[in-house]
Amino acid sequence: MSAIRDALLANVTTNISSTSCGVSSELPWAQGDTPLYEKNMKKFYLSEESSATTQLFATIDRNDVFQKERSLTGFITVDAKNQPNDIDTVVAAVINSRLAIADQSVNECAVAVDTEEDRITYTFEYRFVTITN
Amino acid sequence: MAYIPVNSTAEFVRLEINADGVDYSGNVAAAFDGAGSGNVLVVPALQDVTVNATPGTFRWKQLDSLSEKVVTIPSTNSVSVTMVLDDTAFFTGAGNTSGIFSITNNKTETYFRLYWQGNTSGDKYIEGNGYLEALAPTVNPDAPVWTSPLTIAVTGDYTEGTV
Repeated sequence: MSAIRDALLANVTTNISSTSCGVSSELPWAQGDTPLYEKNMKKFYLSEESSATTQLFATIDRNDVFQKERSLTGFITVDAKNQPNDIDTVVAAVINSRLAIADQSVNECAVAVDTEEDRITYTFEYRFVTITN
Repeated sequence: MAYIPVNSTAEFVRLEINADGVDYSGNVAAAFDGAGSGNVLVVPALQDVTVNATPGTFRWKQLDSLSEKVVTIPSTNSVSVTMVLDDTAFFTGAGNTSGIFSITNNKTETYFRLYWQGNTSGDKYIEGNGYLEALAPTVNPDAPVWTSPLTIAVTGDYTEGTV
């Protein structure tokens, strides 16, 4: 488990502790065709970390500068017919948790909303970038 | 026909400078191979290098000729690079040669040697002296590492040599 995932989970747990939603430390795996976050609504799930190291500056003597980009995806599903009153607070808190990761040159979080049948799923795409050799 | 590739370790372009305050104008090579060798700063992490060696020309037309006439005037020589800033090269320097920022700031006369394709036996270089200019360090959130152009304004001729 990555340090970034640990830090994000801890921060989201703190930030939404007084809301109607909770946090699961489990990965958002699917049971049958149903992912856990759809089965256990009002629980925030966070994926494992993906990363890519790409060249930022090429140099002639191979003292190249690289950037390491890490991304994680979070999910939370709620009842579309009866949304929690504090869903805006929850979404804002999850977005703000991106700032809990220190020493990054990029701390981004984009949110996508999908409605399917009677469920609304909020998908949070975290993106963190650091400079490396 | 032989190209001059610089894509392997032994063939990297190498820029050395010496700004230790000693006058090597009678023998520039001594700044790198002789007494000044302990004060040579290798400029690392070059992103591009351009050697400018342009003889100036004066052109005129005359009524008894269908084409212009040309004579040469003194050349404007310079070596321009873009580099990723290295803390040691930019601020600390090597031996009695200060870092690039101080050399520029103090307008210190600088001797340089540019190896075209590595610095092992038989490799070619040019050398000369001049002043560092056009330093313009920049950084931004999308590229959060300092980079800068740098030009060596060459005084006089280049000297060509072989290791």
